[in-house]
Amino acid sequence: MPDPDAEVIALSPKTLLATNRFVCEICNKGFQRDQNLQLHRRGHNLPWKLKQRSGKEPKKRVYVCPELSCVHHDPSRALGDLTGIKKHFCRKHGEKKWKCEKCSKKYAVQSDWKAHLKICGTKEYKCDCGTLFSRRDSFITHRAFCDALAEESAKTRTAIAPPCADKEPNIQAVESSPSLPLPAVAPPPQAPAPPVPPSTGVVSSVLTVQNPELVESSNPSPTTPQILEESVTLASTVTSLTTSFSSASSSSSSGSTSSNAFASLFASSTASGSLQSQTTGFTNLFQVMARPEQTANVAPSSSAEPVSLCLATNHGSSIFGTAGQERRQYASALQPAAMSATALLQKAAEMGAAASNASLLRGLGFVSSSSPSSGLQEWSGRQIEPEGPPLAAGLGLGLTCDGGSSLKELMLGTPSVFGPKHTTLDLLGLGMAASGGQTGGLSALMTSINNGLDVAAAFGGGEFGGKEME
Amino acid sequence: MKAEQRANSSSMSLQNPSLLNTTQSSISGALKECLGSLDGACIEKLLLHFASALESKDVTSAQQVMWVLNNVASSIGDPNQRLASWFLKALISRASMVCPTTISFDGRGVLQRRPMTVTELAGYVDLIPWHRFGFCASNSAIFKATQGFPRVHILDFSITHCMQWPTLIDALAKRSEGPPSLRISVPSWRPPVPPLLNVSNEEVCQRLTNFAKFKDVPFEINVIEVPQISPMDASIQQLGSSNHYDLLLSQLNPSTLKLRDDEALVINCQNWLRYMPDELTGSTLHGTSCRDAFLDTIKDLSPCIVMVVDEDCDLGTSSLASRITTCFNYLWIPFDAFETFLPKNSPQRTEYEADIGHKIENIIGFEDIQRIERMESGTKLSKRMANRGFQSVLFCEETVKEVKILLDEHASGWGMKKDDDMLVLTWKGHNSIYATAWVPCSFGVEY
Repeated sequence: MPDPDAEVIALSPKTLLATNRFVCEICNKGFQRDQNLQLHRRGHNLPWKLKQRSGKEPKKRVYVCPELSCVHHDPSRALGDLTGIKKHFCRKHGEKKWKCEKCSKKYAVQSDWKAHLKICGTKEYKCDCGTLFSRRDSFITHRAFCDALAEESAKTRTAIAPPCADKEPNIQAVESSPSLPLPAVAPPPQAPAPPVPPSTGVVSSVLTVQNPELVESSNPSPTTPQILEESVTLASTVTSLTTSFSSASSSSSSGSTSSNAFASLFASSTASGSLQSQTTGFTNLFQVMARPEQTANVAPSSSAEPVSLCLATNHGSSIFGTAGQERRQYASALQPAAMSATALLQKAAEMGAAASNASLLRGLGFVSSSSPSSGLQEWSGRQIEPEGPPLAAGLGLGLTCDGGSSLKELMLGTPSVFGPKHTTLDLLGLGMAASGGQTGGLSALMTSINNGLDVAAAFGGGEFGGKEME
Repeated sequence: MKAEQRANSSSMSLQNPSLLNTTQSSISGALKECLGSLDGACIEKLLLHFASALESKDVTSAQQVMWVLNNVASSIGDPNQRLASWFLKALISRASMVCPTTISFDGRGVLQRRPMTVTELAGYVDLIPWHRFGFCASNSAIFKATQGFPRVHILDFSITHCMQWPTLIDALAKRSEGPPSLRISVPSWRPPVPPLLNVSNEEVCQRLTNFAKFKDVPFEINVIEVPQISPMDASIQQLGSSNHYDLLLSQLNPSTLKLRDDEALVINCQNWLRYMPDELTGSTLHGTSCRDAFLDTIKDLSPCIVMVVDEDCDLGTSSLASRITTCFNYLWIPFDAFETFLPKNSPQRTEYEADIGHKIENIIGFEDIQRIERMESGTKLSKRMANRGFQSVLFCEETVKEVKILLDEHASGWGMKKDDDMLVLTWKGHNSIYATAWVPCSFGVEY
């Protein structure tokens, strides 16, 4: 966490780019060499003067990037030292004029380039499986667990192979054998692989394509086919989530500002909230979350171009966060109606006021089911072995879930809110003041809000009231 | 000071309800400061508002904020957007648990994270120095502490499936006095968190044994069997992980562990302590927490060194708002690190971020015993260790040098600082991981 007492300093781009790499922290004067800087600093008589004057330690300084679009422009992301901010500015916002001839990597800071030249292509460790490493510790760790070593030790143990290591058979053996040849150990348990739907083939391959720059994975291990299958779930889920988020953007652009705008934003085209494949907004998200095994059905046609649909039209110049101008572009890519961030929030506000009929997650695809098994589901259990749905009743949200009718009312509102067609139920809430009974604490709250009472009253007893933030 | 203002503004907006008030549009009133810039600070505020809207059941606000967040968040966007997407999922997951009888939200976690192969895990722990930093510092300290001993026994409590040990085995193999006989004991149970492997403990042990043999280091690896909880026993199940720890503690005694007098006992806690419950419970002796009881137990084993490596962040608080802020301002670090050297659609990056998302979901989405990610900063941990009768051990110059060399080989934002007796991994100056070494106080006085 950033130190709230630190002094935040914003230097100008000119200062930061100055090639006088050694800069005096006191007066910002720059020097080509460190020795000169030290001599200069002695002239400031630093420690003594500070002690005599202020009687306390020099304040910790943090440096922000002057570039507005940059994440490090924000004081909470300030960098802790002067050299760091200079290097950052130069690297991120400066021109990359130093290029490595061997691998074409470009650097803005000459010292970075020099450091790279030292190691580019020099140290290389090669595992028997063929993977290359530039760092010894990653090589050792990989080697310890690599199938190639297992193969080799199995061979020496059974005394079949000649003592001299013969690399090719190892690799061959690794590729062809379906299970590990370790005599004393049973084949590793394989998780059941879901069938591979053709539609997700593209995405699966995206996920299993190994990034050549990150060496470790070129091992042609026998588990690769399994990975491919296992990754389908991941692939389709990731795709769906991507698609869902991006679809939210595309659907929002077509949303009207009518009172049903909100519902249309989130509801799928099949407004009854059925769980059939959706390409819009949150429905998709929750559907994926609710029924992972159905991911294969979700938006298969869009799986081929996750990138083009994505919200992030990102531009290399900022590490984090969106650029000032780019932000606007980003926002408009998101909504062809050309909304800026300001407009986004204002629209949300308008919709909120108008959406008296919509409920929080209506149309999000939550499906009611027969009551799930009781008992507190351990979080861990959910993760690894899917069991019943979680029943963490009342966790953290200050509700007691004793299943009584009061809760039902609280959560569901009255049945009249939902037509018989609705198979989805609201998460929090309920249809609202406009229709249905007014019983239940939540309904009353909504009524009071609509009637213009101070929201503060609602907060007064809340968990946040007066609670200190650590 | 802008930094101070920023740090305080979130708390102000919550303690000052009038900021959140308007009947027409609570969102635009509350988020006035954000207008015009959807940056990290704004996203953080949005998350806080969403959380408080959920807590006060202010559906209108929740809808509005969620709509905005949904349009901002993206799991393949820039780091802020990615982080926001995981946070949003966590908050929604939390919201969905309010209505247990009506929602069949299959809480399999937002993303079913596929388990990795051992070689994939080997690469995973080296993607960024998040784990390797701890491995390097610990192994170096362990090497130093066990010099001269003919036998070394390591009790390994970690979540990275023995990825730490190959480099130590390699170093021990080259020891000037010859390698010691090395024995490693690992518990059969570990917290159910990523990284997940697609093979059994036994398989990992077998491979490590192979490797040690290859390096000519006498080696043995044992699994400390933590008795299984019968799934039918619902009342025990309610206790969740904490019961696993109680059972584990019961196994940590000299006879079960077969401790020997001539061996140097090393206790390695790597990303472990934060999972141990810290509430005072009646079930443990003297009403100490599970975490403290664990420390007491290992102290009684008379180890020659105890390594504690963990995430340098305080997330044990019960205040949701505080957790959101702290978590957001801490976990941006790995997201930012990935952004600097991995492409947007890199599968390794996606998977690593999903694992962090898993962590976020637990921190934000759960309470009580189900919230198992309860990080404690190095500073606080140091106080705890001192309270439990440990004294810190300085890292020697050689260790510091080794860690520096390691970091030089990674992206240039990674650095290290020495904070008293603590080594801290930093990213762009921000603390991420701390590494500490301890021994029981020689003249241990009862506290």
